[in-house]
Amino acid sequence: MDTPYAIEMLNITKRFPGIIANDNITLQLKKGEIHALLGENGAGKSTLMSVLFGLYQPEEGIIKKDGVEVSIKNPNDANALGIGMVHQHFKLVECFNVLDNIILGVEDTKNGFLQKKEARKKVMALSERYGLSIDPDAIIEDITIGMQQRTEILKMLYRDNEILIFDEPTAVLTPQEIDELMQIMKNLAKEGKSILFISHKLEEIMKVADRCSVLRKGKYIGTVETKDTTMEELSAMMVGRNVNFHVAKEEKTPGDVVLDVENMVVASEGHKMDAVKNVSFKVRGGEIVCIAGIDGNGQRELVEGITGLLPLKSGKLTLLNKDITKESIRHRNKMGMSHIPEDRHKHGLVLDYSLEDNLILERYFEPEFTNKAGFLRRKNIRNYANKIIEQYDVRSGQGPVTIARSMSGGNQQKAIIGREIDKNPELLVAVQPTRGLDVGAIEYIHKQLVAQRDAGKAVLMVSYELEEVMDVSDRILVLYEGEIVGELDPKKTTEEELGLYMAGAKRDEVKA
Amino acid sequence: MTLLIQYTLIFASVLLLVALGGCVSEHSGVINLGLEGIMVIGAVGGALTMRALGTSVPAVVMIIVVMLVAIVCGILYSALLGVACINFKADQTIIGTALNMLGVAGATVLVKAINTAANPNDVSSEIQYVDQRAMFIKSIGKFEFNWFMVAAVVALIIVHVFLYKTKYGLRLMACGEHPQAADSVGISVYKMRWMGVLMSGALGGLGGICYIMAGVSLWKFENGVAGFGFLALAVMIFGQWKPRRIALVALLFGFFRALSNVYVGFEFLYKLNIPAGIYNMMPYIVSLVVLALSSKHSHAPKAEGVPYDKGQR
Amino acid sequence: MRKILKNEGVQAFAASILCILLGMLVGYIALLFINPSGAGEAIMDLIKNFFNLNNPAKQLQRFGNTVAKTIPLLMCSLSILFSYKVGLFNIGAAGQYCIGVCASLYAALQWHWGWLPCMLLAIVAGGIAGALVGILKAAFNVNEVISGIMLNWIILYFTNIVLTKVKEVASPYTGYLNDLNPKALLPNAGLDRFFNGNQYITIALPIALIVTIVIWIILNKTKLGYELKATGFNSKAAKYCGMAEKRNLILSLVISGALAGLGASLLYQTGYMRWECTAASVPGMGFNGIATAFLGGLSPIGAIFSSYFIQHIADGGAYVDKTVYCSQISDFISSVIIYFCGFVFFIKYLMNTALAKKNKKDTNANKEGGEN
Repeated sequence: MDTPYAIEMLNITKRFPGIIANDNITLQLKKGEIHALLGENGAGKSTLMSVLFGLYQPEEGIIKKDGVEVSIKNPNDANALGIGMVHQHFKLVECFNVLDNIILGVEDTKNGFLQKKEARKKVMALSERYGLSIDPDAIIEDITIGMQQRTEILKMLYRDNEILIFDEPTAVLTPQEIDELMQIMKNLAKEGKSILFISHKLEEIMKVADRCSVLRKGKYIGTVETKDTTMEELSAMMVGRNVNFHVAKEEKTPGDVVLDVENMVVASEGHKMDAVKNVSFKVRGGEIVCIAGIDGNGQRELVEGITGLLPLKSGKLTLLNKDITKESIRHRNKMGMSHIPEDRHKHGLVLDYSLEDNLILERYFEPEFTNKAGFLRRKNIRNYANKIIEQYDVRSGQGPVTIARSMSGGNQQKAIIGREIDKNPELLVAVQPTRGLDVGAIEYIHKQLVAQRDAGKAVLMVSYELEEVMDVSDRILVLYEGEIVGELDPKKTTEEELGLYMAGAKRDEVKA
Repeated sequence: MTLLIQYTLIFASVLLLVALGGCVSEHSGVINLGLEGIMVIGAVGGALTMRALGTSVPAVVMIIVVMLVAIVCGILYSALLGVACINFKADQTIIGTALNMLGVAGATVLVKAINTAANPNDVSSEIQYVDQRAMFIKSIGKFEFNWFMVAAVVALIIVHVFLYKTKYGLRLMACGEHPQAADSVGISVYKMRWMGVLMSGALGGLGGICYIMAGVSLWKFENGVAGFGFLALAVMIFGQWKPRRIALVALLFGFFRALSNVYVGFEFLYKLNIPAGIYNMMPYIVSLVVLALSSKHSHAPKAEGVPYDKGQR
Repeated sequence: MRKILKNEGVQAFAASILCILLGMLVGYIALLFINPSGAGEAIMDLIKNFFNLNNPAKQLQRFGNTVAKTIPLLMCSLSILFSYKVGLFNIGAAGQYCIGVCASLYAALQWHWGWLPCMLLAIVAGGIAGALVGILKAAFNVNEVISGIMLNWIILYFTNIVLTKVKEVASPYTGYLNDLNPKALLPNAGLDRFFNGNQYITIALPIALIVTIVIWIILNKTKLGYELKATGFNSKAAKYCGMAEKRNLILSLVISGALAGLGASLLYQTGYMRWECTAASVPGMGFNGIATAFLGGLSPIGAIFSSYFIQHIADGGAYVDKTVYCSQISDFISSVIIYFCGFVFFIKYLMNTALAKKNKKDTNANKEGGEN
């Protein structure tokens, strides 16, 4: 049978308890094309790809390879059909070297012993052919994210995969690395590989893809040729309406300094180099300062240093004119610091506790909630929880007694935000406050941040999303390899310029 | 002095065997806290085999059969850990503890039943193997060479080669470090973990029979194996999960254990008049100190102790 | 009906019963292998325990013995479950119990202290032993299971050395409290009358019940319990919100150790037991506490019942036909029960999915879908 399609996914439906992740979706990938799959977080892209890769079984629909129906029950089946995938979170064994990671699962052996010579030759040849320039003996944990991604690409090429899936491959890369990746993808397509490229970044899709299919809330919206469309059109297809990304906020002159960071150094946990190197900046009341940068440039350590989760190696922290460098987390909280953590499951919530118990997580010791004898005042806790639930519109199955684990991500985040803002903090540290949330929730959270600012409070936000950085902040500090390399005014800069700073291609001497 | 070396080597052999077992299991991602129980079961299997074979068989047959039975017993028993912790995602600590208690209780019940069946007045949990034990030993001057020492060295070589030179070793370690990565390239995490657990069972069982034959010719199974399974885990941690380092650490720990057996032979130690209990405590104290020193920056396999769930990605 | 089945407590109870039945079944099979003809009878003897006696007065007396030994087991069980709530597996409870024996007996026999100071010393000794495990964990990141086991052995040899100083000349046992220092014996306070004059029934019984309730209150009603459980569920979140996680970790092990130490005092100061100074292993009480803690669904109240049950069949072991079987069959059964307790989460999961499936059929699932 002759068909122009390498892979066809026809009328795929996949349900999970409570939601339909994929609702009658059709996706056709031509041979040798780069096909983008566009959609917001939660639109069903990852589910669809997991179906293709054999990680999930669809309830309905069929998959065809070269026009022949196939059944993909697990990654082995996918692999046998020549389907490979670069996952968003790399599937690399960190303490192994590059070569071992590439051959893992398809090792050559002789009399039971590993034979790596041939494999090394093949890897080097592939690396050269596609311009990947990789060191096969480097240990994964020592190399850059970009190199790790190339290892993943080589894993697919080593297995002679014909259909390559890239799941949000640019999320963790610098703009330069992104350009290189685009080039690599084009090379691959030229050599006859068919590429599925999952993204929610319009610009990249326009740049590299031949065609683009759009999903929204689990439904298939349509497929367009990129040369016949515009970013605006794609955006409208993706979100279903022309959203105003801009957050309405008024001009405001910042007030007094709330947080003063002086020459802060934080050690890195895994590596010898410091994660935060001699960083100084100030955050004033009535302004939103945003730390921009690619993930992994010291943001986590910076925030944990400020909030007290990690000790400073040197430097000084001042909150409201008081030295808090050595103060405990509890004390910083009491002094008016709130922290919306990056990972709500890891830090923000005790998932096995009820919603109400989570809402008092930082205040349970206050006289309102604990009496002098050390007993919890359950009635007050319930009343307080109900207040927050109502005020911040936290929806859950059973109200205050709902176990946090059973709540949706958006409502979990709303609960955290309610808890942190209700403390009426002088300084709100918000790390990726909108991660993984839908458009409605994002808008809501941005509004809350701006409301804090308008009330004269200081807000320090960390975000990896350029758009969010540009829209919400009053001032941008760019963090690159643990140093602040630029201070920018969002009204006077462009995303391109910001990108150059984030990639370390441009830097100023910043004295904030 | 010879005696000290001899005991050091034999106890080091026990620790090495069992620690290697723990090492393989942990590299696959399963913490095997049940090694103590596995040792007891291996020991009881081996001891009963010795009793059944009597003294009429040639030494070679005795050595091979006893070792094999201990290994098989260890493997079968460790399967209880595998089923619970790999397939049913049970808490590895609870299951390990249960296996330790079950090992002692099971061995006691079994040996008593056999003893009582043979002689209604005998309600002890003892097995004697004086002549059988002699077959495992070759005297070189004053030094008693024991075939278990060879077994330990062979096990060291096998485990080292397995982990670093074969594809199954590579796959097994991938499962302990990043099971999702292993799964994504088509490796069955469950299979690899089963392999790790069963290998640890084999080594633990062998270590068990080696332990009860190290210094004595009869064993009372009510006493278990005196925390040696856990000492072996300490050896493994201090050895940073690397077979060759584990071997060196095993020698160190073996030395302290040997001291308590032979201190009487050293005049200056004997004159100090320290209670025997102090010497008995030594290996445990040393291991606590060593753990305190080496646990802060541990090189443990990243995914150890975490049950692998295919649904969670 | 479904509501009842969804209840945590009911599920825990059902799971425990299942574990017990499975444990009994395996024990029965083991007995069948040893000697098929008497297996059924033996397992019944085990379950009947003192009901094997035909004199009601004697039954009551023996019932008292079982109760006396349930008390320390209950304390060990509380010790295990208390630290488990903070996410720690205090296998060192066995050693903390042992050092409690050492402290109370030495104070009683060497220094001739009264019962209360002896008991307090046992509590302190257990608490210190627990603190050691906690400090090793908090400051040096030493796995508490391994350090606990190591300490168990160190404490065993230490106890043997110390108590050898107060042992009888002719035997390896420590002397009788009755003869040497009766004021170290816990007062009966008239409670023995309810057990046909069983002298081992003392104020240990009310103390144990009060302690159990206090532990329940601490865990469920107080700030401390809230903190400890939060640390156990998610130590990172606990740190994030400013709880002193290391202090909590050590504190919980101190309390845990103190409970085990108290347990030792509550048994040995009744005069029921004497220490054998050549003991080759720590008493099994601490290990059995693991079984009872999990069997009791990790609830202090549940532990009362599970402790009694485990002690009941342990004593029942004395009634099996010794010419064919041995009394360790009860140890065997309780370790099998712990093994099955490892499956409790799986059993509950099965129950919940079965319920959820039914639920779905009846009503449409509500809109609150998870993102995952």
